[in-house]
Amino acid sequence: MATTNASISISSDIMSYPVSINKTMTMKKAGSCHGLDETSGLNNTKKQTETAFKLFGNAEATTLKASKVYIRNTGSSKTDFFYIGYGEDLAAATIETIGRLYGGDWMLIPWDAVAATSHDIYAKASTAEVMTIEYMAFIE
Amino acid sequence: MATTTATVSISSSDLQPGNTLSINASSTLMQTGLTTGLEIMDMGASTATVAGGPDALHEALGTVDTANYMYLCNNATDDTFYLQVVLHDTVIGRLYAGDWMFTPWNMSDAAAEWAIEAEVGTCPYEYAFFKSTYTLPISTQGDASATGGGTLNP
Repeated sequence: MATTNASISISSDIMSYPVSINKTMTMKKAGSCHGLDETSGLNNTKKQTETAFKLFGNAEATTLKASKVYIRNTGSSKTDFFYIGYGEDLAAATIETIGRLYGGDWMLIPWDAVAATSHDIYAKASTAEVMTIEYMAFIE
Repeated sequence: MATTTATVSISSSDLQPGNTLSINASSTLMQTGLTTGLEIMDMGASTATVAGGPDALHEALGTVDTANYMYLCNNATDDTFYLQVVLHDTVIGRLYAGDWMFTPWNMSDAAAEWAIEAEVGTCPYEYAFFKSTYTLPISTQGDASATGGGTLNP
């Protein structure tokens, strides 16, 4: 059994009082006290295309479990971004698109790896300029 | 200009034998395509129950395809309790007790709302949304001033 901890810290002065969120989780298997013990490993990929590409295939994990994925745009541009979403059809008006990762942005989400291509996780760059994405799955 | 910073640290000494994992990343959250910080946020806490069914955590009422972010944490303590997290009609994943998530959200379509549902147990949860744009829902009371009622915008 492995122990993997993930901590988040969010600070903001949007409100008239300071907002500070701090949480730590230990990544566990579904309904269990045992830690996730499989991973895709940390990947780092450079892309120079606006064509969507797969980060994680549904067959890498099991549906109805507690898998998680971490993704980060390692760039610094605040105008160029990666769309991230479920399925290959990622674009502005596609509901399966989750969001935009601008330079430096990251995400850590649970992943229900339903056995269908609709639950493959894809990225799509907003530009054909060189961009780099870092990603890792914590798998059950 | 407001400044909102989100930082993550992921560590494990035994997930990959012989290779200690240490990921550290930080991002300052900006408005869509700008170097101006986000100015709109919502945060709150509540409890989801199995009997309560699915709840819309946040509707997509801002400008479509923009830079927005969501934080959500399941504060339950029983390892078997979890929230199912859904974007429109796509199940994103299960957030078990103690788990948190942080994700961008581009409000790709008016139907792209976030929903949660407690599938097992009673799950206290907390959330925060940081947004580039947002439009408040239309009041169900209509224009109160036109009907002799109180004035919302005197």
